[in-house]
Amino acid sequence: MTRLFRTFKLGLKSLLLHPMRSALTVLGIFIGVASVIWLLAIGEGISREAQRQIEDLGAENIIVRSVKPPDGASGVGGTVDDFGVKRSEAEMILATVPTIEHVVPIRELQQNFIYNGNPNAKPVDGRLVGCTPEYAAINRLEVARGHFITHREVDAERSVCVISAVLADRLFPSEDPINKQMYLPEKLEYFSIVGVLKKRNATAAIGGSLSAQDFSLDVYIPISTMFQRMGDREIKRTGASFSISSFELSQITIQVSNVQDVPRTAELIESTLMDGNRDRQDIAVVVPYELLEQAKTTRLMFMMFMGLIAAVSLIVGGIGIMNIMLATVTERTREIGIRRALGGKRSDITQQFLVETISLSVVGGLTGVLGGLLCPLVVYYAREGVKQCAPDFYANLPEVAKIMSPEIVPASIPIAFFISVVVGVIFGIYPAIRAAKMDPIDALRHE
Amino acid sequence: MNEPIKMAASLRDLQKHYVLKSETVKALRGISFDVPEGDYVAIMGPSGSGKSTLLNLLGCLDRPTLGSYFLGDADVAQMSDDELSEVRASKLGFVFQSYNLIPQLSVVENIEVPLYYMGQLNAESRARSTGLATMVGLGGRLGHRPAQLSGGQQQRVAIARSLVNDPYFILADEATGNLDSVTTEEILALFQRLNDEGRTIIMVTHEDEVSQHAKRVIWLKDGEVQSDQPVENRDVFTAKRIQEISNNAEVRT
Repeated sequence: MTRLFRTFKLGLKSLLLHPMRSALTVLGIFIGVASVIWLLAIGEGISREAQRQIEDLGAENIIVRSVKPPDGASGVGGTVDDFGVKRSEAEMILATVPTIEHVVPIRELQQNFIYNGNPNAKPVDGRLVGCTPEYAAINRLEVARGHFITHREVDAERSVCVISAVLADRLFPSEDPINKQMYLPEKLEYFSIVGVLKKRNATAAIGGSLSAQDFSLDVYIPISTMFQRMGDREIKRTGASFSISSFELSQITIQVSNVQDVPRTAELIESTLMDGNRDRQDIAVVVPYELLEQAKTTRLMFMMFMGLIAAVSLIVGGIGIMNIMLATVTERTREIGIRRALGGKRSDITQQFLVETISLSVVGGLTGVLGGLLCPLVVYYAREGVKQCAPDFYANLPEVAKIMSPEIVPASIPIAFFISVVVGVIFGIYPAIRAAKMDPIDALRHE
Repeated sequence: MNEPIKMAASLRDLQKHYVLKSETVKALRGISFDVPEGDYVAIMGPSGSGKSTLLNLLGCLDRPTLGSYFLGDADVAQMSDDELSEVRASKLGFVFQSYNLIPQLSVVENIEVPLYYMGQLNAESRARSTGLATMVGLGGRLGHRPAQLSGGQQQRVAIARSLVNDPYFILADEATGNLDSVTTEEILALFQRLNDEGRTIIMVTHEDEVSQHAKRVIWLKDGEVQSDQPVENRDVFTAKRIQEISNNAEVRT
């Protein structure tokens, strides 16, 4: 024990003989180890962010979107574009697919909203959503005051609505919106407000088929009321021309009772909807669960790529150590000769140089771990710095770079440290063996 | 009362051959002599006589091609590399021409090196090393590095180191070769003092003045012992002179 301690003490003494050289050698390992932790932390941060966004859509949901065909694709100008999922299809899915919990039909329209009690106010542009009571749960909407649309209101086709927090603030800056009348100038319809929602963050766009959803200016009404009052046709006037489109539903969100059944159910639904028409272009089936799985694979590949970079930097650091140790061995040939003459065995010499190399790499490993732990802090300040100094550049950064926060992977610390020791052994063993192989007589004569 | 004289080392027909390309060079062609305990031998000879080869064999740094070499009772001629290392650590004391101290170690740590390889480092051994440093007049410099010492002082540390394992003999290789005449005298006085105390010393030298201090001179020529004779008119320091020299050395320290 005392002997091992002495060997370490001796190793440190020898290394401190050239502090600059040792420090530079340590730097190589420091960078390698710190980059392992950094890369893993940033990779984890990015993938968590992506995963969170996908989970926002609900892993247990399957979304069928209506896709408006390109203008003129389905007929000559003047004909009505009839596209999208049908109410009958939503009912059929609910009736025939056994693994599902809810089917929520949704129809969305861009509309102007105005508070009836204040006719001078400017109308607010927002989104009118016809839906059923399950919509709130599936989209994680929470009611602040009042209640969400109820089954009774849907069945009775009542003219009630629930409005989002932001819209409530705009339309009713100083009044309680509950039980007030809201007017839709384009549809000439009145709705009575029964509930106000809490604020909810927007979801991100996923792939090409699902655009980002912003819930901030939404008005929710029973889907039955929407059909009864507004029908399926939409007339959009743009300047002098107008276009008519006809669609029954914008989207059906299908909630599956068990997440494991999602892929199977999605396949079933897709084949049901596509039945008889393989190239049906007006719908898109989006499965967040599949995206989640995909994201996991992407994440794994990302991690592997990052790991590769880290491994390369560690190997470079290791080669740096080996290089220095080989130089040291040559430089200390005389010392090796003396030690052999005074009774040091080959194994003693190997041990001595190995201890020195490992000391170097362990110091690099420890400081590297410390440097790695600073990652979230450094990223935070770097981002703030860019925001302050180059706001234009910051604005153009991808979303993920703005919100991503690195997550230190706890396992990366022991792994990085362990790797640094292994690097020390691997790259130290050759110089150490070379030192031990020296003939003591030649080594003693070495000038 | 007629106790047999104990041998520190005995060489029997020691041969060392080197194979250079296709040619075999016989560096030693059969060397035999005994070194009884308490002897003080100088090995001399012109270059090419096999002096260095013999030194390497005596120092267990190399193995003979033929013959035997007894250190005490053990024949070290055919030992393995690790066994030779153990013999060097425990039975031999080296003093080199260029001192050969380890630069990053202090005086006392340098003295301890053979004990380190014997696995005998403890408080007792530390006391022993300190005692030896004091004996060679460096008691006040235990923590100094070799670079902070003069040549003579470094050589005294080396002598202290050669004694730390209580060796069968001290093997000195041109121990005074790098030193001026005053320091040479100082080292030779130290050797004589050690020999007077019963230490066996074998030294390799090419200087007649140095060999005159030994009790016996072995002359080598062409890998063979040419002569092996006691020194006539041996150059002996008086006890008073030894005291004087060591005092002077102490003052200069």
